[in-house]
Parts: sequence; C-alpha cells; structure tokens
Amino acid sequence: MLDNGKITPMQMLLLLFPTIVATAVLLVPSVTERHAGRDMWLSPIWAMLAGFAVVLTAWALHRRFPDDTLIEIGERVLGKAPGRIVGIIYVFFYWHAGGMLVRQYGEFVSGVFLMETPTPVIMGGMLVVCAYAVRGGVEVLGRCAQIIIPAVLGMYALLVLLQLPSLEPGRLLPMFEFGILPSLKGSIVPQAWYTEFIAVSFLYPSLTDRSKGLRWAVFAVLLVAFFLTLTNLVALMLFGEMAGRLVYPVMSAARYIVVADFLEHLEAFVMAIWVFGTFVKIALFYHLLVQCTARTAGLSDWRPIAMPVGLLILLSGIWSVPNLQEMIDVLDSSSVFELVSVQLAIPVLLLLVALIRGKKAAAAEAK
Amino acid sequence: MGGLARNPSGRPASPPPSDMRADPRMQAPLSANLGENESLLRDVYADCADVVFRRFATGDGTNALVLYVDGLTNIEELDRCVLAPLMLQTADLPARPPSGQPQAAQPFAQPAGQPAQSQGPPQAAEPPEQPPGQPEGPTAPQAAQPSAQPPGQPAQSQGQPRAAEPPAQPSGPQPTAPPPGQSPAQPEQSPGPPPTRQPTTQQPPAQQPSVQPPDSPDPLANLRIPVSGAKPVADIAGAVREISIGGAVLLIDGRPGGVAFVLSNWEKRSPDEPKAEPVIRGSREGFTETIADNTAQLRRKIRSPQLKMREFEIGRLSRTRVIVAYIEGLADAALIEDVTARLGRIDIDGILESGYIEELIEDNPWSPFPQVLSTERPDAAAASLLEGRVVLLVDGTPFALVVPTSLFSLLQSAEDYYQRFWISTSIRWLRYLFFLLSLLLPSVYVAVLTYHQEMLPTTLLLSMARSREEVPFPALVEALLMEITFEALREAGVRLPKQVGTAVSIVGALVIGEAAVSAGLVSAPMVMVVSLTGIASFTIPRYSAGFAFRMLRFPIILLAGTLGLLGIMLGVLAIIVHMCRLRSFGVPYLYPLSPMNGNAMRDIFIRAPWWMLGARPLPGEPINPRRQSGGQRPGPEPGDGQG
Repeated sequence: MLDNGKITPMQMLLLLFPTIVATAVLLVPSVTERHAGRDMWLSPIWAMLAGFAVVLTAWALHRRFPDDTLIEIGERVLGKAPGRIVGIIYVFFYWHAGGMLVRQYGEFVSGVFLMETPTPVIMGGMLVVCAYAVRGGVEVLGRCAQIIIPAVLGMYALLVLLQLPSLEPGRLLPMFEFGILPSLKGSIVPQAWYTEFIAVSFLYPSLTDRSKGLRWAVFAVLLVAFFLTLTNLVALMLFGEMAGRLVYPVMSAARYIVVADFLEHLEAFVMAIWVFGTFVKIALFYHLLVQCTARTAGLSDWRPIAMPVGLLILLSGIWSVPNLQEMIDVLDSSSVFELVSVQLAIPVLLLLVALIRGKKAAAAEAK
Repeated sequence: MGGLARNPSGRPASPPPSDMRADPRMQAPLSANLGENESLLRDVYADCADVVFRRFATGDGTNALVLYVDGLTNIEELDRCVLAPLMLQTADLPARPPSGQPQAAQPFAQPAGQPAQSQGPPQAAEPPEQPPGQPEGPTAPQAAQPSAQPPGQPAQSQGQPRAAEPPAQPSGPQPTAPPPGQSPAQPEQSPGPPPTRQPTTQQPPAQQPSVQPPDSPDPLANLRIPVSGAKPVADIAGAVREISIGGAVLLIDGRPGGVAFVLSNWEKRSPDEPKAEPVIRGSREGFTETIADNTAQLRRKIRSPQLKMREFEIGRLSRTRVIVAYIEGLADAALIEDVTARLGRIDIDGILESGYIEELIEDNPWSPFPQVLSTERPDAAAASLLEGRVVLLVDGTPFALVVPTSLFSLLQSAEDYYQRFWISTSIRWLRYLFFLLSLLLPSVYVAVLTYHQEMLPTTLLLSMARSREEVPFPALVEALLMEITFEALREAGVRLPKQVGTAVSIVGALVIGEAAVSAGLVSAPMVMVVSLTGIASFTIPRYSAGFAFRMLRFPIILLAGTLGLLGIMLGVLAIIVHMCRLRSFGVPYLYPLSPMNGNAMRDIFIRAPWWMLGARPLPGEPINPRRQSGGQRPGPEPGDGQG
C-alpha cells in the first residue's frame, strides 16, 4: 500500500457523495430536461442503475483482490505490460477529468461571481488548497469531507426549504406524456456521471471496516440519486420546462429567494455549496491521479509528485477546452463515452477476465 | 593566556560544560573524607555567594559540614532539628551510657529505623540470596527492626546493614563510646580513628547491595535528627541537586555519602484566583509557581493512588522539575510513553515556563493553532486527567499543559461543566457563532463591500454607501487599518501598568472610534465591525486559541480583498484542511467531529447533562469504557431501589 491512511465507511460515503453531486447539482436539470422534458425528475433514478453496476463491479474486484486498487488489479489480471496500459489509461483519464472538473469550477465562478478575475487564477487558487489536502493522504481527505459535506448538506437543505413557498407541484403534470422513453434518454448523461463511483475501487482498500464497504457504497448511490431527483424536482416545480434553458437553474433559483426582506440574493449560498463540494471532488480526483501515477510508475512515495501533478491538472484544465460553450458540448457528447468506457467498461472487462482466469486471481487472494 | 587568545568570546579556555551531567566533577562520589568532599563541593560552588558552608563539630568531636543555599532553606528548622541535636545531644550523652544502655538503645533504634525503613526494602530483599542458610534473612525489614535486637550481633557480620546495626550498639561491650548518634563502628572500638574503621564496617553492605550505590552507605544510621524528609546522597551531583532545591546537605567526617534534609522554604505566592481563566461558578483556586503546591492541589482533587506523577528534570542548567501526571488505567499507555519520550528528547539550557516545553513537544511546530492546552486551573487539569489526558506541571509557572488537545477543548471552559446544561449548551453555541465571527466578520464585510454589493438589502446598502462617502480608503485598507489598531490597543492594554491602562482605553474609544469617524477617515460600520470582532475573539475561553484565530483573520481579509467571497471560502478551506492534518499526540485535532464519534459529540454540540456523559471522551479502546454507571437520570423517585 502506498497510502497507509485509513478512512471509515462513513468518510468513504462523504467522499463519494460530492464526486457526483457537486458537479451534477448545478447541471443536472438543464442536461436532463433537454431529453426528458417534464419527466426529468425520473432520469436520475434510471441513471442510478449505472451507479449500482459500477459499485458492484468494484466490490467484486475488491473481494478478489482485497488490498489492490484498479491499477494493481489490472497488472494481476492482464499481466505486466497490458496492466501497465490500463494504468496509463487511468492516469490520462484522471488527468483529463481533473482538468475538466477544475475548468468547470473556474468557468462557473468566473461566469457568475468574479467576472473580471482570470479563470486560471481561480483554478490555481483551488488547486493550491487541494494540493495541501492531497499531500495529507486519503485520511486527511476523509476527515475534510466529514467536516465539509455535512455543512454543505445543511446549506442545501436550507436552500430547498427557503424555496418551498414558490414551488408549484402542478408543473410536474402531466407525467409520462410521451411514455417512459424521454426519461430514459434523459438519463444517458447522468448515468455517465454515476460511473464516477469507480473511485470507490481506490477507497475500498483504505477502509477501516471493509465488511461494510458495499453497504455504504450502495447507500452513497441512493443518496446521490435522492439529491439529484430532489434538485430536478425543485427546478421543475420552480421553472417548469424553462429549467432546460438556464445553464445553472439552481443558481437562478437562489436569486428568487427573499426572506423577511433581509435575506436576499443567496447566490453566495450556492457558491458556497458549489465551492465546498467541488473542493472535495477535485481533491479526490487529484488524489486518484496522484495515486494512479505513483502506482503505475511504481514509485515508493507519492508525496513528491503531489505538487507537480497539481500543476499538470491546471494545464489540462486550461488546454482541454477553449470556452464554456464547447465544454458543455463536450460534457454532453464525447465525455459520456469517455466516462462510461473508462469507468465502467474497463472494470467490467477486468472482472470478466479475472473470472475466466479465476484460478490465478484466487491464488492471489489467498496470499 | 593562550586560551584567551584562542577563545574569541574571552571566556576561560575550558569553561565548565553547559550540561551539568557531563561535568566529571559531578560524578565524584562523596567519600568518607570530609575534607576531600568539602574541597570538591567548594570547587563546584566556587564564587557562589549564596551557598553557605557551615562547618562544625558534633558532640564527639567529629567534624561535620552542613551546606545549603541561603534563602531556599528554612534556617530555623535547620538549626533546631539538625545542628542542635548533633552538637548538643552528644554532649550530654557521656553521662548516660553507664546506666542508660537499654534506654539509649531504645531511642536509637527508632530514629535510625525510620530512614532505614524507607530505604530498607530493596536491601533487605537481597540477603536471602547471598547469605546461605540465614534464617532471619527473609524477614521483612519492618519486622526485623524490633526483633533483630537480641540476635543483633550475629546478624551484624552478615551485613543486613540497616536492621542489624542499630541493635549492635546497645550490645556493644564498650560503653565508652558515648555518642549514640554515631556510626555503627563506634561501639566496638571507640577510641580509634573513625575513618579507618568506617570502611571495614561498611564493607559487608558494600558487597551486598552493590546494585544501589546511593543507599549502600547510610550516613544517617542512628542519628537522632527529627526531620522526616531525609534522603541519602551518594555523589556530588546528588548533593548539588538537593541543595539547589532547598535541601540542606549534611556531611560527617568518617561516613561516606551524605544526607540531604528536605527543609526547603522559600518565599512563594499563595494560591490565587486564576487571572486568565476566571469563572462565575467554580473553584477560585489557581495553580502557583511552586510545583509541590500544584501537585498537592491535584492530589486533593483526585485522591486515588491511581493518580500517578512521574518526575522529570529538564534543562541542562535550570534543572527544572517537570511532573507528568496521569491516571493509571484511564490514560492510554502509549500516550504516556509518547509524552515521556518527547520530554526525554528535550535538551535545552533552561525551561522557564511551560511554553518552552509546549513548543518542544508539539506535533506540528509550524501550525498557528495550539496543540497543547495550557491552564492555570487545577479543576480543569483534574477534569482532563479524568478524561484520560496527561497533565504536565512545570516548576516555576502556574500554567499546566494538557495533552492531547483538540480544537473543541480549546473552545470549552471549565465552567461549562458546572452550570446547568441548558446554560452551557447555549453558551457553547454562542461561542461557536462568535468564534466564526472573530475569524470571518471583517473579511465578509470587505468582500461584500468590494465585490458583492448586490447581496445587501437596498436600504442597508444605501446607508452604508452614505457612511462610506467621505472615507478615502478602499474597504480593504480601512479594515486592515482598524484591525491592526485594535490589536495594538489590546496589546497596549495588557502590557501597560494598570494606572495607564485606563488612559489607553479612553484614547482608544475616543480617538480611534469617535474622532476617526467624524474626521471621515473611517466609516461608522467599520468601527462596529472591528469592535464586534474584538468582542467575538474574547469569547474564546483559551487565550492562545483566540489569538490563533485573531491572527488568521488578517490573511483572510487580504484574500477577501482580492477574491471576494471566493477568497474567504478558499481561506476557510485551507484552515479546515490544515486542521484535518493536525494531530495532537495522536488524536486528530477535530476529533470527535472528524473522525466522527457520536458519543463524544454529546460534549461538543451540546453539553449533555452529566448523567448522559458516560462514554470516555478520547478515541481508542479504553480499559474501562464507562466513566460512570448508567441509569443515573435523576427523577422524583427517592433514593436507590425504585429508580
């Protein structure tokens, strides 16, 4: 084990939760509305199935190779050279995904709050804080998530509560106007997000209580589905089908909140939710990239590469897409394929090969 | 001269090593030759005007020497209880011996017996192995004392040193040896020169308890000195140690080793109300600068012998006493080992305050947060002990250190546990709120005014804009100016003599507040923000923690001035990450919030009533996991049985 830190199952849940929710909570209404229309609240629930598939695959692999992450599993199952290739794929995947994520964060903040601040500065500031957390190892990440995520959940609950008076349940009707198909189509993009649950494969070996791993991972998937559905419902009941035309419907919703003529313009709340949640997500992806790199390259210590890797993430964030419109386009199209193939197809493939060459894997497990 | 030339500092060529333990002179044993000892000690204490060497002759004409530090030792007691008996007792004794053999015998045995008992066990345990077929060997030392009198002579040769010698005297055939307070050698051949015989009698003991050099010579044997605290000293280092803590060391010609009498008595402060941690309800007693008083205060609160106090001596020159107190069975053994190991690592010239130790044992020396709690309240220290923590007492300071410490113990006050739990719970929340305000209020003000004006309700925004109309500075500069001024005022208020202190507060309130606003240099809301922040930072009950947060608000103000609310969030995130990385003696700094522990959180978000605080508050598997028996919730049911 490169990182000897231990996290509790609950910390694992709190690390996984923002991995999907932090990005999705802003984008999911507009993305799902495009295909699902009024039935968009159902899409996250369909998409949840992909989450279960990933979590179960990761668990099956973990049962066979209890101390290994995907990188080592790849080498054990496929052999040295092909295993390295799997490792390299993951390194590049997380590099790209991390970059996109940081870029998304930068675009959101500079687009909504700090319009005159250069995006790289915003991205760099976040990466510096993340680097500090990543150097502490998975244990520090787990503890940070345990502090931050409950606070984020509290703020989110407050936001929903304050919007309650303006919600109109009538906007949900008629349901299933065009059958069930639109909501299924709407779930294509979210299910790709759910595959990000593969991060669990890197967290299982660090658990203090491994027997509870699956239970908490499944719980995390359910919690994520609940939150995305809630977000969609709120957006739908607030804006109707107009939700699809807003880039950040949750953000716009917060603008309407007025409490007692004093609490107005709660965008700061949304930004806090977004920044804190995204911090955990970026830190986790950053951590995974550092771990994948160190494991693939066979390093004995990962701490020295933590800072340089952060710089690389910043670069990939700057270079991968030219502007926000194109980024949304990428997220909507090719990124779906990228996410699903790397995060679902490869693990399933590894599991199948391990099942076929079962004996070898079992011997490894016996050790 | 050559030495001077070589040594740029102008000191003598070979200054004494700064570490006393490395000084070869210190290792010299105290021999039986008084003159030798005296010259050694005089050499060690050359140019020490405060060390008093008092030479005198005991009743039988043996030379003796008492030395002590002027002002540290109770001279009256020394005169009355050490010098007087030695000098006078012997003078009237020659009259007694003819008639008084038995009488003389009885009194001897007792005074001699007292110290013998205290040092006896280790030695008395040994004879069983060495003298084969010695039936009396295994007898317990106390039992040996009275019963050894009849068979005293045979025992003498076997060298059960302590128990055997006193009875040897009465049975000694030559009652010419009048001084009963003298060495065991005396009875046999009194007229002879003592030094020559001393070794012979001392040899058997020297062979036997070879393990314990300090105990082997018992210079106190059958001396009648009514002082309870008497310790044998074997070498110069031991003598120096005792002298410097206020003991008086007695050396008698012809006896190897010396005796230190604990007669320390110096001017000290009586326990006072702790100035930095006052309470409304609770003990008014604080620690003092004298470590013995502090240990006594702890012992008075926790009487169980499970309260252990290990003593250390730290500081090459200061030789400061440090006591590690913990409760056996509650404090984690690994923790105690960790603390002692870290203390053992310290190698420094002097420890003048527990702050030295704090900085030398903490986990992360660069962190702005205190990782060790310092308190001058014995009740707080005792409460920490009961929670399984370790308390470090340092001589010379009323501030005890408590480890491990988490952020939350720094945000709690001793009084939280003495008030009704509703009061304490609401006060805790008030404290948490103001703790956040003290960190964030000025920076939020700066960020909102600079970047996010739209967040304010229109009327508020208008009135703020009006008040800022004349102010020539941007909000960031204004905030920094006022905050720094406030810190300066606070510091001046602490340092200045009380009489001038009021002047400072008047100047602060009038000039900085009123005048600055009416001159248009500062806006009125800013003054409010600054004063609110100041008040907020004083709600944190621990000064060191409050200071850490007050300090951190400056970088956050700067971040707020450059990145607005985002900067504040990044700053808060960095602080959270830092705290998540911190540990204090193995315990995560944010415990029990993260890693989460539901039971321990009862003492964080609320102060649960005492009957609910059953679980031990520190992480790990304690030996006895409950602090109290369950089911103690009080109600109207009378007494036990029905509840």
